[in-house]
Amino acid sequence: MKELTAEDTSLLELVDRLLNKGVVLAGEATISVAGIDLIYLGLNVVLAAVETIGKAQERRAS
Amino acid sequence: MTLLAHAIAASPPATLSQEGLRGRPLAWSEAGDLGLWSTEWAPDIKLERPDALEHHRLVERICAAQPCLPVRFGTAFATSDDARASLDKRAAALHAALTRVAGKTELALTLLWRDSPGPLLIKSAAGPGRQYMEARRAEFAAREARRARAETMVDRVVAELAIDRQLVWHETCTSDNVAVSLAVLVPTERAAERKAELERVAARFPDVIPVLNGPWPPYTFARTE
Repeated sequence: MKELTAEDTSLLELVDRLLNKGVVLAGEATISVAGIDLIYLGLNVVLAAVETIGKAQERRAS
Repeated sequence: MTLLAHAIAASPPATLSQEGLRGRPLAWSEAGDLGLWSTEWAPDIKLERPDALEHHRLVERICAAQPCLPVRFGTAFATSDDARASLDKRAAALHAALTRVAGKTELALTLLWRDSPGPLLIKSAAGPGRQYMEARRAEFAAREARRARAETMVDRVVAELAIDRQLVWHETCTSDNVAVSLAVLVPTERAAERKAELERVAARFPDVIPVLNGPWPPYTFARTE
């Protein structure tokens, strides 16, 4: 399990709010980062992504 | 042209710089006594991660100028008429939400477990099937104990700060790292004082690392459904 720093946590909490909270109006846009659509993904998924990235980096380093 | 939504506010609109996302024009679409702040966007421009953070800064700027409801990032309308129709459809709920957040701001408290759940060693003379079931039961019990501990910490925070439960949102154990993710709506003029109080209470929990954020626009409390 990747240790979360305070900075990671702050960013994830903010991203979670931007993507999952706030007023929901009928819209049509999607955003993607590195080819992955982020809209409607919860904090859990973002955390999981951080952990996956961490593991991938560890594998590459070994 | 597309309108990329940022926040909903009551009319009349506050006087703001006309600069929206990536320096594009900021627009106000009025429907009755409500309006939507948005950036005039081009549909072929793809949104990227820095745009999300800039949207956050824009929403902060709007909220500092007048009470507003942040709109979920990535919401766009093909025309101003579409935006107005969307506001009209839920005007009553939007008014109620605006009243709820007026003069208030959001603080975020995240509690991270200091220790990861360790591997469970089950010593048993039983066969592998029984051992497997005992290990599963022990894992479940450990997970439930963590969840109960997290809920206790939430109760303690709410009690010690004498916060109205209606103004608190929380989730527990959303991942192996996170014990509690909590948001609280506080009067804007008392945000610094309340944040310091939250920090003091959270620092007393020996098994977690507290991370405080905000004051932020009231993202968590802007929902209307």
